[in-house]
Amino acid sequence: MTDQQWEALLMVIKGETVAPMPVGFVIDCPWLPNWYGIRILDYFSNDQLWLDANLKAINDFPEVIFLPGFWSEFGMCTEPSAFGARCTFPDNEFPHAHRVIKSADDIDDLPQPDPSKDGLLPFMLNRLKLAQPKIEAAGHKIRFAVARGPLNIASYLMGSTEFLTMMMMQPDKADNLMKKITTFLKDWLTLQRETFPSIDGIFLLDDIIGFMGEPEFRQFGLPYFKELYDENVTVKFLHNDAPCRVSAPILPEIGINLFNMGFDVSLSELKELTQNQITMLGNLPPRDVLAGADAAFVSGKTIEMIDALKDRTRIIASCGGGMPPDVSSENIKAFIKAVQG
Amino acid sequence: MSELIKQIAYCIERGKVNKMSPFPNDMKEQPGTDELTKQAIEEGIGPDVILEACNDGMQKVGDKFGRNEVFVPELLMAAKAMNAVMEHLKPFFAAGNLKVKGKFVLGTVAGDLHDIGKNLVSMVVEGNGWQVIDLGVDVKTEKFISAVKENPGCAVGLSALLTTTMANMEKTVSAIREECPSVKIIVGGAPVTMNSAKRMGADGYSPDPQGAVTFLNQSVSIG
Repeated sequence: MTDQQWEALLMVIKGETVAPMPVGFVIDCPWLPNWYGIRILDYFSNDQLWLDANLKAINDFPEVIFLPGFWSEFGMCTEPSAFGARCTFPDNEFPHAHRVIKSADDIDDLPQPDPSKDGLLPFMLNRLKLAQPKIEAAGHKIRFAVARGPLNIASYLMGSTEFLTMMMMQPDKADNLMKKITTFLKDWLTLQRETFPSIDGIFLLDDIIGFMGEPEFRQFGLPYFKELYDENVTVKFLHNDAPCRVSAPILPEIGINLFNMGFDVSLSELKELTQNQITMLGNLPPRDVLAGADAAFVSGKTIEMIDALKDRTRIIASCGGGMPPDVSSENIKAFIKAVQG
Repeated sequence: MSELIKQIAYCIERGKVNKMSPFPNDMKEQPGTDELTKQAIEEGIGPDVILEACNDGMQKVGDKFGRNEVFVPELLMAAKAMNAVMEHLKPFFAAGNLKVKGKFVLGTVAGDLHDIGKNLVSMVVEGNGWQVIDLGVDVKTEKFISAVKENPGCAVGLSALLTTTMANMEKTVSAIREECPSVKIIVGGAPVTMNSAKRMGADGYSPDPQGAVTFLNQSVSIG
């Protein structure tokens, strides 16, 4: 993200009017490799291809704020790998991590990972360090410490059904697991911030939030997210593209000031739910419209989305969730044009 | 409906599995579906009546879920309570005193390891008297097709949580349609909509487990 883009982002978050309305997208492995014309495995295993794909995105769409920007990641394997999860990397599919916790009794014995040495995390950090001079030569800086959220990691380590059931049947065990993961995440985010002093934001991705009712979220989510976001950074960014009507009103209490949501709730409703305290990054349907439709349809739906806004502050036009696979450059350009003219 | 049967239905609705279970908080130390079903069988209440209580309890919690009054954890607990009932009813199915409505092949599509939606559907559909062939998560298209061929007359359910795996869902629906044109297919999961379901050629879409039951009961001939 360039200094200019970062300043624009901060202005939007402060509630100032930025014209034209900024456009931003969360981009990572579901979209970038195939859009760049390489296999997903090449994107993960070749630092140069990873960098080139990211550079092409920023060069082709200079108007777009890509978030978190130059994101070194190994899909859903990134954090679970530090806990010893077996990671599967199909040739041109998304990687996934296997469970490491068979029962609640395993939680106490789960080792506390060292993010500087364990799993794929050293590779992720080192890739960014190696690329840093080239990223900065392109006029960009590394702005965010990034991780999957604690509920999301818990569900990968244990299985979503098992984890959510444990919350109800063995709440103490669920709390223990959340504490262990939160300690790890704090270490991991701190390490990223120490490595890159240009970082002034935290970005967590957690769609398990969307499956919980308010009492469960207040017990098993809120305290841990608060702890993670309670750091001296300017931008506190959350992605949850599962249902969000329950959690949205609680997000300001956590300190979150930027939110990328699922496409099923309108921007206006989200503004109401969050008392207009949070900047929204959304909310065009990602698959049915941005990826699945033609440029004219994308344009029409984008204009419809913008026209429906009574208040255009604290909005960064985007799609719901991250950029899905198969979105063409033509459709992205149509989206940008519809927003910015 | 006897008081005992009403209690079983209520325990399912509230997700009360057994006396040991701490959930829900206001029913601590009270018997759950496990103890109550055992008692009902001992008192000679017919398994069909007990199964009806399952339907009633699941219907109520399913309706609450649809109205956003309860969420996935509560629904999982309701399904768990219902499973405790089904454990007691297994011998009646085996002996032919209870008949399954049909077979339902179910799985999360290739590349997707999420199992919440799939498991909820599995438990609720089973509780409504269907035999569920649960293929698990990250299920390749070929595995779905084999299961359909091994279970003539079955319906198929495909689940996906990730937007990114919807492409695999689409491929699987097409492949099943090509190999087994008459099979009824229902899809669901967070990124799936009625529109995307139609586009990929599925017969049905449901945002919740109860909708899958309705689809099966209405669309699939019950044998």
